[in-house]
Amino acid sequence: MTDHTVATTTRQVLLVVVFAVQLVLMLPPLVAHPHGPAAWVAYGLLTAVLAVVAGYVAAAVPTPGYLAVVPLVSSVLATTALPAGASFSPADWGFGLVGWYLLLVLVERPAALVAALTAHICFSIAWFAREGGGDVGTAGVVILSGTSFQLGVLVINRVLHRDAALAAEAAAEHDAARTREELARQREQDLRAGFEGQLGALLPLLADLADERASVADQTTRLRCSVAAVQLRRLFAENDDVPDPLLHELTACVDVAERRGVVVSLAVSGTATPVPTEVRRDLVAPMAQALAAANGRAKVSLLRTATEVRVAVVADAPETLPAPGRTGTVTVETNVHSGLVRSEARWRTT
Amino acid sequence: MADDVTAVVVDDHPVVRAGVAHWLSTADIELVASGEDPGVAWTGPGASAAVVVLDLHLGGVAPAMSELRKLVEYGRKVIVYSMRADDEIVLQCLEIGALSYLTKAEGADHLVQAVKAAAAGQSYTPPALAGALAGDRSDTRPALSPRETEVLVEWFQSESKEFVAQRLNITLSTVNSHLERIRVKYAAIGRQAPTKAALVARAIQDGLIGLDDL
Repeated sequence: MTDHTVATTTRQVLLVVVFAVQLVLMLPPLVAHPHGPAAWVAYGLLTAVLAVVAGYVAAAVPTPGYLAVVPLVSSVLATTALPAGASFSPADWGFGLVGWYLLLVLVERPAALVAALTAHICFSIAWFAREGGGDVGTAGVVILSGTSFQLGVLVINRVLHRDAALAAEAAAEHDAARTREELARQREQDLRAGFEGQLGALLPLLADLADERASVADQTTRLRCSVAAVQLRRLFAENDDVPDPLLHELTACVDVAERRGVVVSLAVSGTATPVPTEVRRDLVAPMAQALAAANGRAKVSLLRTATEVRVAVVADAPETLPAPGRTGTVTVETNVHSGLVRSEARWRTT
Repeated sequence: MADDVTAVVVDDHPVVRAGVAHWLSTADIELVASGEDPGVAWTGPGASAAVVVLDLHLGGVAPAMSELRKLVEYGRKVIVYSMRADDEIVLQCLEIGALSYLTKAEGADHLVQAVKAAAAGQSYTPPALAGALAGDRSDTRPALSPRETEVLVEWFQSESKEFVAQRLNITLSTVNSHLERIRVKYAAIGRQAPTKAALVARAIQDGLIGLDDL
């Protein structure tokens, strides 16, 4: 139960209680005893407050505190209109009822409620003392029983509020823990899926080598190893924190090819532009594949214009050609001219 | 024609001077002077050399832009030969009026061609320079046709004009004239320099480019 629910429920319950008290308990003594006309005015005022508060409750709007003035005025009117010496007697319909009204209006403002109740009780006692003739014992019982009941309701309301706050806090903490757990699981899953997806040719190759389905004596297997090596090296470079990640990945691939004895020249033009990781993957992949198969020489170039990022490779690599086509937003074009493979991946920045 | 081409090399590394001397000698280009100080291009035999091969980093930290500017303003045909391939510096050198910009990663072939072209007052665009032009994002850059851009990019990517010609299904001389036109367009912008004016004037005379294209 939240704070808000506690407040709403309290007001609804109090509304019913006050309605019942006013109609069932307090109307008969008002009718039965000879009150002054001010008593009826007080009764009317209180009924009006009941209607107004009912309206606020229905609209789920907090009751304004200044409304408490009306029950206090009614208290004065009802008390002064009492028949002589009737304070705290069965004829005193207003004392208990005004207390309930104050509770109804000020239940969410404990300090104001206590202050208003005190004023109400003090005035009633003062009037009782002034008029005289009543029984002090009965008056004490009436004051104590009525007020303690109302204060009891206030205390229960406060306790409920505190419990609701604690419960809400615990629920929020639980939710946050669940979210964290879910995020961690998602991240791990992403990482795993990402690696599996990007490891590409590596896992089947390792499986084949382990099962002796592939032999390193075989030229095709060596080519697969070479492709896997470049892919793996690029993957390692992918998460490095560098100012120019795309160039960093290209350099990583070039490095692997150079270790294999290929003479690679890398030319870079234009200034670094931010390129999303997926796009970088797609941009580098064809170049990495051609480079893995390259013999002798290769030229890798990275060009960044105002509107495009273009990664190209021109290599002596007859064996495997990067597939032309479109992956996501990257367009790959591959052709062979005079024995040289040219493969270019382009991405429009705008 | 062999003995007509003379050059002077300004570079602070003796090994580079020796290497360049050797490369030029194999192409029948006479190296008349070399040294680590730009003074060699102003006095003695170097003063009359047709082409100045200038290293941008002569010991100091800052590139030798003012040396380049002085030589160009005097009407010398300068090729910048630098370790650095920083696009901004490259474009700045062209703007000042260098006929070519070569990085030291580019080999003998490009240097020889650049010297020969410069001796004839022509530009030479090696692949790295083509890349810098293709990646040029400055506001003042000249408008290139799609074909010209494609030639620049392909030349940058492949380093082979034959390859570019085959790829784009054009002749080798068309590739060269596209590159020349691009350089003329670049020569027509920015600061005035005798070499740049000559490039533009000759291109217009030869009908390579119309006034409307500039």
